[in-house]
Amino acid sequence: MSNKVMQWIDRRFPLTSFVQHDLSEYPTPRNLSYWWNFGSLAGIVLVLQVLTGIFLAMHYKADVNMSFASIQHIMRDVNYGWLLRYMHSTGASAFFLVIFIHMARTLYYGSYRAPRELLWWTGQGLLLLLMGTAFMGYLLPWGQMSFWGATVITNLFRATPFIGDQVVVWLRGDYTVGDETLTRFFALHYLLPFVIIGGVMIHLIALHMVKSSNPSGIDLADKDNIPFHPYFTIKDLYGLGVFLMVYFGFALFFPNLLIEPANNIPANPMQTPNHIVPEWYFLPFYAILRSVPNMVGGVVAMGLSVILFAFMPLLDRSKIPGGALYRPIFRVQFYLFIIDMLILGYIGYVPPTDQTIVIGQIASIAYFCSFFVVPFISTAEEKWLRKRGLPKQVEALIASEELQKAQKKTGGK
Amino acid sequence: MKKHLLTLALCCVTSLSFANEEVKLEKIQVDTSNPAVKRGVEAFMDSCHSCHTLKYIKYQDLVGLGFDKAKVKEWQGDWTLDAPVMGMMPDDGAMAAFGKLPPELSLMARARDGGNNYLYSYLMAYYTGADGVTGNHVFPASKMPDPLGISSATEPAQRAEIAAKAKDIVSFLNWAADPHELERYKLGTYILGYLFVLTSLLFVMKKRIWARLN
Ligand code: HEC
Repeated sequence: MSNKVMQWIDRRFPLTSFVQHDLSEYPTPRNLSYWWNFGSLAGIVLVLQVLTGIFLAMHYKADVNMSFASIQHIMRDVNYGWLLRYMHSTGASAFFLVIFIHMARTLYYGSYRAPRELLWWTGQGLLLLLMGTAFMGYLLPWGQMSFWGATVITNLFRATPFIGDQVVVWLRGDYTVGDETLTRFFALHYLLPFVIIGGVMIHLIALHMVKSSNPSGIDLADKDNIPFHPYFTIKDLYGLGVFLMVYFGFALFFPNLLIEPANNIPANPMQTPNHIVPEWYFLPFYAILRSVPNMVGGVVAMGLSVILFAFMPLLDRSKIPGGALYRPIFRVQFYLFIIDMLILGYIGYVPPTDQTIVIGQIASIAYFCSFFVVPFISTAEEKWLRKRGLPKQVEALIASEELQKAQKKTGGK
Repeated sequence: MKKHLLTLALCCVTSLSFANEEVKLEKIQVDTSNPAVKRGVEAFMDSCHSCHTLKYIKYQDLVGLGFDKAKVKEWQGDWTLDAPVMGMMPDDGAMAAFGKLPPELSLMARARDGGNNYLYSYLMAYYTGADGVTGNHVFPASKMPDPLGISSATEPAQRAEIAAKAKDIVSFLNWAADPHELERYKLGTYILGYLFVLTSLLFVMKKRIWARLN
């Protein structure tokens, strides 16, 4: 019976072949480490955010006179509304944490390099969408930090040449952040996640074209690939279990850790909080913004700091496989970059003093330098490594990679 | 993992150092038990209700805490049970007396850096200066008159009594800011316990399935 149904479907829709090709038999390198779990985790967090978000939207009111109180209504009167809300607010941080680790893994192992450029660039697009969604979502509770954060950030668009003032009014729908801004941010905050889902589909199609990279950083020969199911379904499920423990630990025991106290005060356009801070995931970029004394320069620097990741496939000239694994200098660069990010995050958090401004400026310069030096260091490093003699297994990897490339050229139509 | 831990550590360090940036706040252990919260309600109604509103707490919620309706009726006056707990001072009276309105307090325990510690320290920080004028160490510009009388209390026993009262009030305000807190911890314990068992099983399964490979 079920066979007949499947046959009926398969003649009309490629269900069986899709499941085989992209799920059950999808070839996956067997040497993936747990760092490769974060892609599927990001997908799960996206689903969690969409589900909790839809239920929150059923009780939320996007109106400057009602939104703060509607959040309190959700927290106090709606059945398990507090659970939905804390899962959603914690989920936003979890999303960025997972995505940052996912990106750090890609950078560390050089997974952005050919032939995975489009995979990396679609991921970069998803990061921008995620940032936009999170930024607009943060306005919705209509607390002090919501209001002033949105005011400061929309104000940055004044840096647009010639029509800056008009752009700001156009974005806000009013001269100041107000009811118009709130309703449009809500509309977009509900829309963008579905755009993200579409983007994730494209990201996955690109992934299934080039297949996963792996810690040794090259395409593995067929014998080292294993079917996705059951090996990676179970591995991802186990990773999900660990993730959920951390996630619910925060959502249910420390949900207020990452909510600024000032956001429990209703928005008041007449009173600026003593210290406006964005959410933690924007802090490094915010620090770069503040490090440039001139506003236009700061906005350009901040935009660049996010976009620069996209240039990595072009900047990295090395042909040594395995990313940082077989490249000691690149590895040092990677860790220095992570430390620099943490310093910038700290500088973005604290109220600016003469001292922190200087530290922030040095860290910002270091941030940009870590990208700009990549072409030179990667070529020099490759020369040096080759002269010193590569380890046998790396030579073998390069040889097999070249062989595969040659085969693909002759084997392909 | 390393990055994850570092970020977390960083978050904790910065938020702590930020909280006691100006004055050292006294750290207290908040008693979240029902008797403490109820004592807090009574103290609040005695000492704070005359000026402060609890916008998101209804008289009905006090019945929910275990007060009988007759008792709540005393505080409620002419309001209905599902009305919010309104302060007794009219706005123009407050403006005339303080030049500003006393803030509503139902979220106050989450609306200041330092949270509960801030509330307790603020209430206890009133003192009488050499010139006989009352001041506050934690919030020097505060327009609120010393509500618990700590600035004029000299006897240790009396001071201890006021400290206990302040703690009860904080217990109540902490509950008011997050009435489902205890329920949340309970659910959290179940969920984490369940996830721990499930994840352990998944780990064993993962080991077994991967063992087929060699
Ligand atoms: C006589 C009226 C009055 C009474 C009684 C009173 N308050 Fe206040 N309270 C005020 C006013 C006025 C302010 C505003 C102070 C300011 O911003 O300068 C205030 C502010 C506060 C604040 C906010 C401080 C801040 O950081 O902005 C808290 C917390 C507070 N009161 C708690 C209490 C508690 C708890 C009680 C009962 C023990 C109480 N108040 C009793 C008038 C009162």
